[in-house]
Amino acid sequence: MIELKNVNKSYEINKNNIVNALQNINISIQEGELFVLKGASGSGKSTVLSLIAALSKPTSGEVIVDTKQISKLPDNFACEYRRDNIGFIFQKYNLIPTLSVSENILLPLVPLNLPAQEAQEKLQRVMKMFDISHKAEAIVKNLSGGEQQRVAIARANVNDPKIIIADEPTANLDERLSLSFIEILKELKALKKTIVIATHDPLFFNLDCVDREIELHKGNILS
Amino acid sequence: MRSKINLYLMEYALNALLREKYKSFFIMSIFTLLTFLLTSVFFITNSIKYELQSTVDTLPQIIVQKIKAGRHYDIDENVVDDILEIAGVDDAVARVWGYYYFENAGVNFSIVGIDAYERQYKKTFENIIEDFDFETLEQTPSMVVGRGVKEIMKQSYYDEYFNFIKPDGSLKRVDVAGVFDGQTQLESNDMIVMPKETLKEIFGMDEMQATDIVVKVKNPQEVSTVAAKIKLIYPDTRIITTQDLQISYQNIFDYKSGIFLALFVIAIFTFFIIIYDKASGLSSEEKREIGILKAIGWKIDDILKEKFYEAFILSFFAYILGVILALLYVYLFQAPILRDIFVGYSQLKTSFELPFIFDLHTLFLVFFLSVPIYVAAIIIPSWKVATLEADEVIR
Ligand SMILES: Nc1ncnc2c1ncn2[C@@H]1O[C@H](COP(=O)(O)OP(=O)(O)OP(=O)(O)O)[C@@H](O)[C@H]1O
Ligand SMILES: [Mg+2]
Repeated sequence: MIELKNVNKSYEINKNNIVNALQNINISIQEGELFVLKGASGSGKSTVLSLIAALSKPTSGEVIVDTKQISKLPDNFACEYRRDNIGFIFQKYNLIPTLSVSENILLPLVPLNLPAQEAQEKLQRVMKMFDISHKAEAIVKNLSGGEQQRVAIARANVNDPKIIIADEPTANLDERLSLSFIEILKELKALKKTIVIATHDPLFFNLDCVDREIELHKGNILS
Repeated sequence: MRSKINLYLMEYALNALLREKYKSFFIMSIFTLLTFLLTSVFFITNSIKYELQSTVDTLPQIIVQKIKAGRHYDIDENVVDDILEIAGVDDAVARVWGYYYFENAGVNFSIVGIDAYERQYKKTFENIIEDFDFETLEQTPSMVVGRGVKEIMKQSYYDEYFNFIKPDGSLKRVDVAGVFDGQTQLESNDMIVMPKETLKEIFGMDEMQATDIVVKVKNPQEVSTVAAKIKLIYPDTRIITTQDLQISYQNIFDYKSGIFLALFVIAIFTFFIIIYDKASGLSSEEKREIGILKAIGWKIDDILKEKFYEAFILSFFAYILGVILALLYVYLFQAPILRDIFVGYSQLKTSFELPFIFDLHTLFLVFFLSVPIYVAAIIIPSWKVATLEADEVIR
């Protein structure tokens, strides 16, 4: 269960210029739910995702995941929390372009120092699941956008996290690829993962598999 | 806590270096060059210091010179007898020696005259007396030469003899009886040894004159007392003790070290420019990579460990390479170019070998001057980025 309680987030650009990205947000997401955040550009969707992944901290309010106060975690614990619980599919994928597909997917496992065989098994499982095995040794920067996204999805799942977060997952995809992404979402949902998606793509609106939608507008929730 | 070394991290670090092949190669080349320069300088300094010290060790305890109008003149051989009377004196020998300018090669060699019956003031001369038949040396007029001399004479096609020009303009032919090895390279390389009589003829010296007198004292602690007594009997002499020589040698050496110091400063300066460049900030790709790693769950210390491996692998490898190159350059190739700065042109144009002195202190010093500084220069900016909120960095 993910809960945001009275969350405010503001960015100080300079002394006289403060952006209120989120204002008094309350959201709660149940385990196993597929949850969609809608909203125009700049409405604060990515900011909500960052807070859930402990990539940033709220200016005020609380973020609670499974009774844990994510918003109060010291940096090192936030990293550990992220490593063990969150699979983040970034809007720009955030792959390391000069590494190969398998190297990128293995990155989250590096600090875990797992036995080589275990790491390999995890790698093969996700590469197969997201259909990228045939490109295992390719350098990421030479891949197409759709392939890069599958690498990003595989990387987000390699450590088998409970929560999957995707920021504008279809922004760079054509319709066919977008539809196949929705198939992937269904698969993940079948694995009982909690999924949070930020998007303004109408493709997601009123989908059967989506359990709940919320729309953000200038940092506030539209009911 | 996992205490096992994380090989994946090391692999990642190595990979990171290889991904930036040209950059890594560039930094490593400069790093290698600098360690090479620094280590070479230290190696050369150590070797020459060692040579000079051994040279000083072979020098006589006291040298007595006659001084007239502030200049050095030949001294009467009879003075030896008076000196032998002084309490504490073990031995006194009148030396005949000087320099001869070889016009063909443009080099000054030192020539020493010895007599078979005297007690020799240098071990090298004892060996020469043992190894060569001195009577024949006197009869044929012949000389024994150092290796450097032999080589230079050969170049001028004087392989078997040489015609010295006497002060009156006439020639004196002296045969080369052989080559000797000195106790130190500096000593033996530019030296010619021949019978005193022959040398006096070449120099145009009087029968009963000598260049100076060397005195051996039984108890090394009495050197200054004996020196003072000689000065009392012969006020027109200058007395030079080993200590004085050591100081003047040291002065020449220190002056040369100064030139090296300048080189050294330049090397360090270059090094710090690299360091400054590194420490002044990471490129946006480097920052982004740190942000990504953090965003997918790497902790700050995972990132810093990785950066440490990266910096250490590069700098340690460059250090080892630099040291090996310096060893080869200094001891195998005898430090061409750099050595000339130390062993000045006028003093010694002839060659001598740098003795191999393996000095762990030097290696440690160069290590601590390079590797940790570079590692810190990599770690500190990485740490600055790694402690930022990941969201800020990858946005
Ligand atoms: N690090 C930051 N510094 C300053 N302003 C920021 C920062 N991050 C976000 N903002 C601002 O906060 C607001 C919300 O941004 P956010 O990225 O959450 O919007 P979004 O809904 O994800 O938009 P998009 O659909 O364009 O991705 C925007 O006005 C943005 O400019
Ligand atoms: Mg966004």
